[in-house]
Amino acid sequence: MFSLNNQLELRKVTISSLITCIYLPSIITFISYRGLLYSVGNGSSFYILVLIFLAELLKSFYLNASSDIQAKKNKASKSRVSDILKSFVFLLVVLFSYFVGIILFGAPLLECHEETLMLAALMTLLTVFPLIAHTGVEASMQLVFGIKTYGKDTIIQMLINNSLLTVCGAWLGAVVIPLDWNTPWQQWPIPCYLGAVGGYVLSNVLTVLKVSLMTAAQKYPALNFVVKVMNSLHNAKKI
Amino acid sequence: MLGWQKHRWIGLCLLIIALGAFILFLYGFFPLKYHSGKVAHMDDLPNFIHGVSIDGQEVYNSGEHSVVLMVIDSLRYDFVTEEYMPFTAELLKNKSACIYVSLAEPPTVTMPRIKSPERKILKAQWRRTINFWRDIFAMMTGSVSTFADVALNFGAPAVRGDSVLRAAAARGRRSVMYGDDTWLRLFPGLWAEYDGTTSFYVTDYTEVDNNVTRHLDKVLTPDDKNKPTFDFLVLHYLGLDHIGHLQGARSPQIKPKLLEMDAVVKKIFTAMKKWDRNGVLFICGDHGMRDAGGHGGATPAEVLVPLVVDKSDDFECPHPLGPGPTVAQVDMAPSISWLLNVPIPGDSTGRVLPALMPQDIRQHLYLLHVMSAHNAKQPALPTDTEVFRQFMRAEKQFAQYLATGQQSAAKIAKEFYEESLEGMAKHLTETTVNFDLFALGVASLLLYIVAAALLSIVLFSLQPAHRKISGTHHHRPSKAGIALAYFVISAICIFLLTTACFLTETKSRLCSFDPWWAIAFILIALTFSLTYFILKSAIEHTKDLTTLKDLNAIDYLLIGGTLFHAWSFFGTSFIEEEHMTWYFFWNTLMLFVLVRTLTVLMVYIGKRLTGSTEVQDKPELHKKMVAGVEVLPKWIFLIALHRYLRTMNQTGDRWLFLPDTADWLNEPQNSHILQIQMVIGTLATLLICIRNLQYSNNILQMHTALTVLSTLCILAYRVATKSLDCLFSDVETWDTVIIVNVFWGLITAQFVFEFLTYIGIFKTCGLNNTTLNKPCEPCGHKFEYTKPKAKTEDYFYDSMVEEPWNVNEVKLNLVRSISHLMLNNMMLVVILLMRPHNVIMVPSIYLTCVLTSKCLDHKLLDAKSGRNTETVDVVSQTLAHLWIGYVFFFYQGNSNSLASVDLGSGYVGLREYCPIRVAARMGLHAYAGPALAGCTLFCTLPVVAETWEQYLQSVWRACNIFAFQRVYTLAIYCVIAIFFRHHLFVWSVFSPKLLYDLTATVFTVQALSTIAVIVGLAHMTSWVARVVTQKSRL
Repeated sequence: MFSLNNQLELRKVTISSLITCIYLPSIITFISYRGLLYSVGNGSSFYILVLIFLAELLKSFYLNASSDIQAKKNKASKSRVSDILKSFVFLLVVLFSYFVGIILFGAPLLECHEETLMLAALMTLLTVFPLIAHTGVEASMQLVFGIKTYGKDTIIQMLINNSLLTVCGAWLGAVVIPLDWNTPWQQWPIPCYLGAVGGYVLSNVLTVLKVSLMTAAQKYPALNFVVKVMNSLHNAKKI
Repeated sequence: MLGWQKHRWIGLCLLIIALGAFILFLYGFFPLKYHSGKVAHMDDLPNFIHGVSIDGQEVYNSGEHSVVLMVIDSLRYDFVTEEYMPFTAELLKNKSACIYVSLAEPPTVTMPRIKSPERKILKAQWRRTINFWRDIFAMMTGSVSTFADVALNFGAPAVRGDSVLRAAAARGRRSVMYGDDTWLRLFPGLWAEYDGTTSFYVTDYTEVDNNVTRHLDKVLTPDDKNKPTFDFLVLHYLGLDHIGHLQGARSPQIKPKLLEMDAVVKKIFTAMKKWDRNGVLFICGDHGMRDAGGHGGATPAEVLVPLVVDKSDDFECPHPLGPGPTVAQVDMAPSISWLLNVPIPGDSTGRVLPALMPQDIRQHLYLLHVMSAHNAKQPALPTDTEVFRQFMRAEKQFAQYLATGQQSAAKIAKEFYEESLEGMAKHLTETTVNFDLFALGVASLLLYIVAAALLSIVLFSLQPAHRKISGTHHHRPSKAGIALAYFVISAICIFLLTTACFLTETKSRLCSFDPWWAIAFILIALTFSLTYFILKSAIEHTKDLTTLKDLNAIDYLLIGGTLFHAWSFFGTSFIEEEHMTWYFFWNTLMLFVLVRTLTVLMVYIGKRLTGSTEVQDKPELHKKMVAGVEVLPKWIFLIALHRYLRTMNQTGDRWLFLPDTADWLNEPQNSHILQIQMVIGTLATLLICIRNLQYSNNILQMHTALTVLSTLCILAYRVATKSLDCLFSDVETWDTVIIVNVFWGLITAQFVFEFLTYIGIFKTCGLNNTTLNKPCEPCGHKFEYTKPKAKTEDYFYDSMVEEPWNVNEVKLNLVRSISHLMLNNMMLVVILLMRPHNVIMVPSIYLTCVLTSKCLDHKLLDAKSGRNTETVDVVSQTLAHLWIGYVFFFYQGNSNSLASVDLGSGYVGLREYCPIRVAARMGLHAYAGPALAGCTLFCTLPVVAETWEQYLQSVWRACNIFAFQRVYTLAIYCVIAIFFRHHLFVWSVFSPKLLYDLTATVFTVQALSTIAVIVGLAHMTSWVARVVTQKSRL
């Protein structure tokens, strides 16, 4: 549950979620307008990933911008370059494990590697990258496996929720593949790709909704029940 | 009766009741249509009309005709217009042809897109053939077919009964066929000349038709007497259908295609005009198409098809212009038969098309008489109906006409005949095609109440054990009271059912109150009340469900997935692609467990790195964590293994055609890899078997020897069937039947040996018991041959001094060893039956089961320990094993279509056909996955259990859950089947699934009874031992 204590963090969370709610759907709208929606698996759609990467990077700058001074000190003490290198390697490892994982869980084994790779890259970008950009490699590793509890840190909470819902979305996206509708979007990996994006956007929408509801609930206590329900929905507990 | 919910095998009994209810359901769903199998003969034509003699054969003779049947796939009613088919429209306009509206039973065709190996084409052809079956069957036999006709020929669908083609062939008529090869499969051996085109390449819409048209010139050219060379010609054009599938009904390709068809019509018509013989041309579609191009629904565009009839000379259509009258598809058969001057097929219920009826009144009336007499002979038509009396009156009038030549009598006779024919056709379709809705309703209601009872029993059984005892002490109603209550409730049930019978005015046989049906009726009512009582008392005694609070996320996934799966069948594609559902569930489960184990690993590493003392301080925690860490690589290996197995056999319907690993392995150049894999599978099973023998009385390593020998038998069998190369070439010449018989002998010997050791030990024990005061040592010493395994020793003399017999422990041991022996032998048998590439499945099932049960252990996963998680463990283990069974069922290449039944496995080691043995083999082969997984579960239960009571308790729970899952699926699926009974796929998708469910239920009953028998054997052995002991004491 988000705490209302830290108004600054809350505002940051809301704004960054709002940005996501705007930029991701507009990218999707744009490519579907251009008729490229069904080519998201191709390597030619790499620019989408670049766009998402840039957006997430900017968002993380915004989120990190005025973190407390101690964190800044920590950051400053380490060498910037090695940090970036380390995160890069870590991202590659995550990408590879996503790739292998997706294949193990049923993606085509011998063909469609390009598509699977794009999906893996998207998943990495949406799940692990924001975490790394926010907290650094070690901390994010611990966070992913639920060793470190994120306590009252609203931003990290949001990021973790985002990545969980992204994975759920991609996982549930696969449901439509076996249906016999014979539509063009049932090709691998479009449902999973769009499912991941959808999960991510949904998570952000939920965040915005929740924050606004919580603020409203301070005025109208009757809304507290709704907030509770939303919390139980959104805070997808770690398995 | 009130305490019955506590009975250990009540779940099994309820399952058997559910099986009965399901059979009632099947009875209602597949009306047992009586196909007389009667073969029509010319001598059957009546020679007396009400006593007036008439020369049947002479009057029946229609003259010489050559019939051309031109089937244009997907020809819609509105395609026969001036715009698309100008020549045909011209013919219709000047009345030299007639058009009828024919109601099609639309088949659907799912077209494969990729070239695929031979064995799969057969599988896919099955579905296509079944979908075609109804139309062609109706056209050619004149009767509506039922699913039983289809289900009884799995692999080779062929019409067995009488048909126009059979009658024509018997009378020496030449039938020629060009076009879709489904006709050839349905009527094998009845064609004088044929060229079948396969309809698999949907992108091709010119070549398929050219393949038909190119024969036309030759076949239409008359011989030197200016007569055509054939009597009956079938042309089946597929191009239009393919265009529809590719581009839809508005495609620009449609018009040229129809013009091409029109040109063919013109060609045939002009050729017919030149012959010296009367030619008749039928043009019809077998189904229409949607505007979008597909067909599969029941919209008018899909089911209304034109039927154009046209004769080369002296023909004028009697009907006014415009859309013609509606006829049935079954009318084609008698029309063609009569034109060919062959008898009407035995089971035909149709009538000759009105436009073709002869002008001559005598012949006209005679034909009408033949058709109505034919219908009147149908067994489904009782003689006391108004329709039948009308027929008798018509016959009288006809006889009067024949005797006196009165025109008025002829007119009346004609009217009466028409009326009775109409009535008969209505009656016959009603009684033979309609579902017995009353039986369906009663059966599904019964299934529902049984499912509810089982659910309550499952919940009841999940209560902690001590609660159960305390609950029983309350006031117990007297036996007489219970009996009275039961009697009253049964009476109410019978009354309600009877009222329902009369209120719905059903024609169901269930309400016919025949002696036999009345017994069934009363039994149903009794079952209703019985189930009601069980349900009631189980609900009343379920008070403490705190154990359910221990369920974790994985358990919820297991429960939710199992419950949801039954509902997924509301989508047809989820039935056809049921394997996808299970793969998805199983993947999700594997992902959950993977995350779980990863977390444990990370925690462990974290603790190690930070050097926290917590782990070192608590050794059991440390142990737990190490176990969790060790399991991770194994789990990843398991995921990879499953990934591999999933590619082994493509199954379902849509992706059946993709090449899979099995195809690759079966290619001749890869045979050595296949052999290696097979040998690995067999040897791994051998290892597992030998490992499992630790639980049995492996005296003098006898079991090991027997197991190795039987594995050798299996390998020898493989060599003898040429699927394995061998250094010793003379093994190849061995007789497979003998090898398999030796194998059975070895397996039986294992069981007998096991029992003998148990009983033998007891016997000697009993004799020994006279010297009860002796210390343990010499006692144990007496049985030196039991030494090799420490296990056999430790159970009987530990507590010998005070309590002489620790019977329960012995029982537990016996159950352990028998269950493991059963698992071993079942694995070996399955390996023997499996196809070479599937052998690897068997050790994989065992591995999966073992690893999964390790990973799902609540003690390993949950942070809070110390709780008694035994009950929850049983729930999650049972469900997980159920899932594993289903997953492997589909890995193995099974699906919900009858085409995937492997007939070959039924004949392993058999010289001649023996229905029971073949069915048992085929069943065990098809359900190898569920059977082995279930068996492994029932092997782990006694190993995990510490006491005999605990074992019984967990077996009780597991059995209840198994039974509940089965009945729950059945109940939901029955409603789905009722709901979709008019669905287009009812034969190719819904009905086969019903048969699969029936088999699964039968096998579940069989499996649970086997467990019951094992427990019973344990009891019996101890009873025998006790008797022997007492005797020897005396």
